[in-house]
Amino acid sequence: MKYALLSDIHGNLEALQAVLRDTEAQGVGTIHCLGDVIGYGADPIACLELVQQHCDVKLMGNHEYAAIGLSSTEHYNEAAQVATDWTRKQLTDHELDIINGFEMKHTIDDVLLVHSSPYDPDRWHYILTPAAAAQAFANLDERICFFGHSHLPQIYAEQDEGLPRCQAGHDFLPDEEGRYLINVGSVGQPRDEDPRACYLVFDTEESEVNYHRVEYDIEMTQRKMARASMPQMLISRLRLGR
Amino acid sequence: MAEIIVKYDNKVIERIVTEKKRLSIGRSRDNDIVLENRGVSRKHAIIEFNNNAAVVIDNESLNGTFVNNRKITEEILRNDDTITVGKYSLVYHTETSQEHDGGADFDGTMVLKTKQQKQLLENDKIEKQIVTKYGGSVLIGEENAEFSEFKIDRDVVTIGKAKFVHVRAKGFFISGIQAKISKENMSFVLTNLGKKGKTLVNGEPISQCNLKNGDIITVGKSTFKFIEGTN
Repeated sequence: MKYALLSDIHGNLEALQAVLRDTEAQGVGTIHCLGDVIGYGADPIACLELVQQHCDVKLMGNHEYAAIGLSSTEHYNEAAQVATDWTRKQLTDHELDIINGFEMKHTIDDVLLVHSSPYDPDRWHYILTPAAAAQAFANLDERICFFGHSHLPQIYAEQDEGLPRCQAGHDFLPDEEGRYLINVGSVGQPRDEDPRACYLVFDTEESEVNYHRVEYDIEMTQRKMARASMPQMLISRLRLGR
Repeated sequence: MAEIIVKYDNKVIERIVTEKKRLSIGRSRDNDIVLENRGVSRKHAIIEFNNNAAVVIDNESLNGTFVNNRKITEEILRNDDTITVGKYSLVYHTETSQEHDGGADFDGTMVLKTKQQKQLLENDKIEKQIVTKYGGSVLIGEENAEFSEFKIDRDVVTIGKAKFVHVRAKGFFISGIQAKISKENMSFVLTNLGKKGKTLVNGEPISQCNLKNGDIITVGKSTFKFIEGTN
């Protein structure tokens, strides 16, 4: 069975639509969303609706968590705070109900899906170093964990000795005996210097991981963000993929 | 301290700095460089370091190991050489580079797409067929050659622009007999004889060298590929 994993859409409707079209072209039947559907972008409502309509598993991200008032945005940088405040004002009870239905994590056989990290998923830890990955492996019961949050497609492979090995995200065949933490990248705000929308397809039968990059109308997204008076930094970074 | 930059689809995915004497490459997890993908054998190849020299050795892998686009069984590595294993390219640096992550800094690095990989394997298959057809070592005319295949079926084969040589080469600055290939023991030795021009193997001028499978010989404007027979 093939399923697509989408994360960190961040209200970017053009990127999400392009990715959904691409999953169809890839013949992927099931789509799961790993959180942060909203925040930063100008189309939080349309993105939530599309995710609700197309995704099977829907996970909570820190931006949803903040939107429903379960965490503060005090530690966010100024641009993120402005965007989060703007997003909160757009959401009606209908959208808040959708978010309330999101799970913190979800297990499918020996695969864990989570937004940020297998340990304390509601603390929104970042896995960005082999040391952080080692801690995550220590708290992982499953063989593979797919996650998002940092917007960086990355693969951490557990080693028999020493710290996990880190590679940038690329197509690969996970070893049957190996354990992996796999960051699926970001649909709506990639930060690996490739501005194209990023998502991942996992083929459970072939045990194959494939990253997909999809072009979308970045100018359109930027124009909408400018109309919503989003901070310029958030608008510019889409073109740069940072 | 040697450095290996691992790339996939022209993107740097890992940077390995090592002081080990031996690095294993393959699909299984117990390798030093794990490449988990199709086209990579479980134990695909090894790189051995000896003082400042490094040698990559193919471990009879199914899809082969390539250095700078050429299929190898064993090859001495030079700085910036690219080893291709499946869809991955591994760029070898004799010393640690200053750049830590700059994918764009590796200009000129060859990246093999699946299509190119197939082409390489196809070429390799054709070469094997040629060797089978002639039953021994062969020169393949690559550029400005008067033949497409020339069987090396004598003890000495001469190369130059004189009319009587076995292999005619083109170019103004070459001698009548520029080089010879002689059979010595079980191998073929290429010797430069000309005073005017140079004889090059894989782009490097030589006075004498043992020919290895896939070596490209250049005399004047003509190039020939040496394909070693199985005898």
